[in-house]
Amino acid sequence: MICAGIDAGSRAIKVVLIEAGSGRVLAKAVTDQGVEQNKLALQLYEKLLNDNDINKKDVGKIVATGYGRNLVTIADTTVTEITCHAVGVRRLVPEVKTVVDIGGQDSKLVRLDGSGRVRDFAMNDRCAAGTGRFLEVVSQRLNVDLTDLGDMAGESKEPALISSMCVVFAETEIVGLLAAGKPKEDIIAGVQSAIAGRIASMAAGNVDKPAVFTGGVAMVSGMRSALESALGCAVSVSPEPQFTGALGAAILACDGAD
Amino acid sequence: MNYEPKQITLQEWDRRYEQLQQEQLCEGDYGGPLGRHVGDGDHRLLELKYDNSPAALKLWNFLLTEEQRLFKAQAEGKKIVGTMKDLGTVPVMVYSLENTVAFYPDGAWWIPCVMQHSAGLLKIADSLGIDESFCPVRAMLGAFVTGKHFPVPDQLICSVGATCDDFSAIAQRLEGLGHEVLWWEMPHRRRCEVDEAGVKLPGGFEAPKSQVEFVKSELERIKTVLEQLSSQALDDETLSAGIKKANVVRRCLAELRQITFTAEVCPLPALEMLIAEMLAIHYCSDQDETIVVLNELIDEVKARVEARKGILAADAARIFWVNPVADLQVMNLLEECGGRICGTEYLFSHAIDLIPEDIPPLEALARMAIADPMAGSSVDRAQRICSDIEKFGCEAVLISRIPGASHCALEGQIIGEIVRGELKLPVIEIEVPPVSDSIRPALRTRLQALVETVKQRRDK
Repeated sequence: MICAGIDAGSRAIKVVLIEAGSGRVLAKAVTDQGVEQNKLALQLYEKLLNDNDINKKDVGKIVATGYGRNLVTIADTTVTEITCHAVGVRRLVPEVKTVVDIGGQDSKLVRLDGSGRVRDFAMNDRCAAGTGRFLEVVSQRLNVDLTDLGDMAGESKEPALISSMCVVFAETEIVGLLAAGKPKEDIIAGVQSAIAGRIASMAAGNVDKPAVFTGGVAMVSGMRSALESALGCAVSVSPEPQFTGALGAAILACDGAD
Repeated sequence: MNYEPKQITLQEWDRRYEQLQQEQLCEGDYGGPLGRHVGDGDHRLLELKYDNSPAALKLWNFLLTEEQRLFKAQAEGKKIVGTMKDLGTVPVMVYSLENTVAFYPDGAWWIPCVMQHSAGLLKIADSLGIDESFCPVRAMLGAFVTGKHFPVPDQLICSVGATCDDFSAIAQRLEGLGHEVLWWEMPHRRRCEVDEAGVKLPGGFEAPKSQVEFVKSELERIKTVLEQLSSQALDDETLSAGIKKANVVRRCLAELRQITFTAEVCPLPALEMLIAEMLAIHYCSDQDETIVVLNELIDEVKARVEARKGILAADAARIFWVNPVADLQVMNLLEECGGRICGTEYLFSHAIDLIPEDIPPLEALARMAIADPMAGSSVDRAQRICSDIEKFGCEAVLISRIPGASHCALEGQIIGEIVRGELKLPVIEIEVPPVSDSIRPALRTRLQALVETVKQRRDK
């Protein structure tokens, strides 16, 4: 039997298909999120099935997660992204104790117990300052591609200090820094440091090791080292960080289908 | 029991009301179908889910008719006392007297939620320079300006000092509008110095005797003003009788909490429990009827527990809730996500503790007043929360922040750290504005994740 996990995130939809018995990942896909969230999720799911010659009838159970999980009508059930990221990362990095997930519009810090179950979590979702949205705003304002942010931050000689915890005000600060002749590289490094600082604030000095970084923002180079500086410990990036939520959902679908 | 307990919508309640009327429903003079309150502008009621018992109907009608009750009392010549930033002290003094009624103007903080901003109270507060950086209790200013939600009181009494600096600013603005206020000071409750005489307080804390004496002297001032207002003597005998009656309410609430929070299956929803607990502060302007309302709720939950019936699944996650919410709908949301409330600390735990009856009454009230969780350190409050969590067997803690409210902006982190450290329980914080519709998905994720975490921990 095949099980599916659909992560309907704020910026992207991810689908993972796994074989129930072996837990082997059969296929995965991602597309941009949009207004018609259910339609987009359905289209992506069906395309993934078609591309891999899988019949709908062979899919035993579907779990949806992510911000738009309750809109995914084909899902048998929903589970929050906190639980799904924990399960997904645990599959890929079994020794993980802390999961840092930075997505498009929220960020989470999930602590796991020795059995891999969620022990506690903290979440930032009222302010974009600790999320991927902050990076998007900055890349647009500086006219820099998201994929180049990390390399540019690496060239920073003196990261700028972004003092505001509000993205709108921070954007105003960036305008001011540009006007003052601050190099883009320093501004980007400052923004990455500010995002990491928000995560450190959520952690409140309580990060069990090893810590694993996941979510779409984990793919932005430079963020991992910014996190390491802010948290004061080594942080590894999860394999395929964008898919850990969908993977966790698919694993939970298998557990529920057993 | 001849019906299944469940949560129903307002429309369903109105249909049930017709049916109950045919079965000779016994109501007070404030009774009637719940739906009529929507006509008064309480649009949020359409979005809530309610317990379907006649006792809950009575509770809601009692709450939602307070405005009429106050205007009627004033028309009958009773003296109206607005007791501000006072969660349960001065009302005990006021209700010891004949023909005086205390109410809680701060309660206007729920009007923007219940009326879904249609009353425009926050806009009025904005126009008076009290913007959204302040606690939503700023709605009270708007209520005083419009004069629609409660009568202008004959006397306003407000505590200041350790209780809430936001509220002090708002109340000072109110006085600036021409509403004279009798201020009384609440000191920050501190630990006794070495060799300093201390006094045990209700709730288990201790305060220096000098601080209790100071609060007592402040209450003496209030006593004099109330005596002048009512033309009655508030002597020890009168006040002791008033304390005994206040303790009747407190015993009712303690019993209701004990039964509801420890029942195997949740017998009463979080929303109705929140409203019931709020009655401790000022009795919804009618102390006698508060006792009637609470006793009916107690009878209802006892019957449900005996019949092993409840309104939620037996495996609902047992949550301890800290601080009241600005949007009542969030209480429903917790239950939709699979949680139930099994313990609360809504910032007025001292108003539920019994007032000592074996010491001089003003001393007893002073001890109770300084036991206010807002007057002491957050560590004290956290320790009381830990104690109640253990007492009620809670599995997780939810701390609700009130936007702009300075008395709880940082407290959540301290409480969270202590609960995690001492009890190893998961703790989350949420911030709930008066109308939370736009952040509902984010709130749902947090609540649902908390419930998932509790259930994973059970599987250990």
